[in-house]
Amino acid sequence: MVRKFQIAAFAASGVLVPVMKLIEPNWLTIMGVAPSWPVLWLLPWALKGGRFKGVFAGLALGLLLDSISLGGASQIPVLVLLGFWWGHLGEHRSSSIDNSFNLGLLAFLGTAFFGLSLWFQFLLTQMSWSFSLFNAWSFQTLLSQSFLTGFLAPILCKRLLFIFRDLKLLS
Amino acid sequence: MRGGPSLVNFRWRFLLRSWPWLFLAGFLFFVRWSKGAVFSDVFALISRPFWPGTAQRVWLQNADQLEQESKLHLLERDNARLRTMLGLQASSKSDLVSVPVISRNPRGWWQQLQLGKGSLDGIQQGCAVVAPGGLVGIINSVTPKTSRVRLLTSPGTRIGVWVTRVERHGILLGMGTNRPQLTFLDKDPQVVVGDLLSTSPASTLLPPNLPVGVIQSLDTEALPAPNASIQLLAAPEAIDWVQVQKCKWLESSK
Repeated sequence: MVRKFQIAAFAASGVLVPVMKLIEPNWLTIMGVAPSWPVLWLLPWALKGGRFKGVFAGLALGLLLDSISLGGASQIPVLVLLGFWWGHLGEHRSSSIDNSFNLGLLAFLGTAFFGLSLWFQFLLTQMSWSFSLFNAWSFQTLLSQSFLTGFLAPILCKRLLFIFRDLKLLS
Repeated sequence: MRGGPSLVNFRWRFLLRSWPWLFLAGFLFFVRWSKGAVFSDVFALISRPFWPGTAQRVWLQNADQLEQESKLHLLERDNARLRTMLGLQASSKSDLVSVPVISRNPRGWWQQLQLGKGSLDGIQQGCAVVAPGGLVGIINSVTPKTSRVRLLTSPGTRIGVWVTRVERHGILLGMGTNRPQLTFLDKDPQVVVGDLLSTSPASTLLPPNLPVGVIQSLDTEALPAPNASIQLLAAPEAIDWVQVQKCKWLESSK
């Protein structure tokens, strides 16, 4: 019973992701671009929980985040794919995956993938202004977000992984 | 030669006695000729301690400001009356709702504001959002107690604008950066750097004559039409309160 409650509490902590997206503290941005909060939460969750829980968490996060965004592109497909990929990695290489460098690299690649997915969708859905998407703004957002998330991942994701391990959650 | 020496003595005595009067007359002629220069200057020097102080200057400035505000009010009323006669949309200060900004994302993939009032306060999708300086964005979606604003800088935002000096239309396109791009509809728009942009006086989607921005740089060689980089007047990064213009025109067009 306690264990189920703990899992429910950590699942509910996913609600903090859209909250952080709304708060978006200025001191935690590079050139005005904030880190990718869904990536920072989904990475440890999927690594410990596996494919199924990773995909489900990606879907839930995507639905929440799409509801507070302007639209034009959906975050659901990329978060589901990232949940699956990281869940698969966690199931097969769990012993070596949770060192700081690997976590940072996975978060960097995941955020870049996340940004490219949004960029591609914008290009497809907004063809009339596609030229403006090839300007410095898109590169700036993609790179700033990827590097910032990559730098924060060893701190935040490792902490979350320790919590999951100590409480023997998601195993 | 009779009486000669006595007559000379008389003239000398007359001159000696009357020189102060002659001097006074000469001085008065000088004052008249100089248009009161000495007289006014001496008066100014003596009366300086009694000149009106700063307090009186402030009163005058306040009175002047009041006069300007009254004139502006009268002009606005006239403008609204004429617009009604011409069948154009009009807006008034009573249509504005002050709303706090509860979340701000001026950068990133989506550039938006989250406001603390929604449909229960009369805000609808498509309403204009005004910050100190001018138009800042358009309401994208509403919930009963919140609303979301698409900023003018957000990629894909498009509004029609009006260059007030040359009375030409253009399309303002959000580029994701601080400076949206203005695409002109004419080959030779005759604009210069520094021209003010506002919403179109004949707009049916936005309130008329809202200041938007200033032309920062021009590219007259661009194809298919010249374009310009625009410095917006309102800065979404630094605002805690905005005003939402209730969209009567949307209601009337339904």
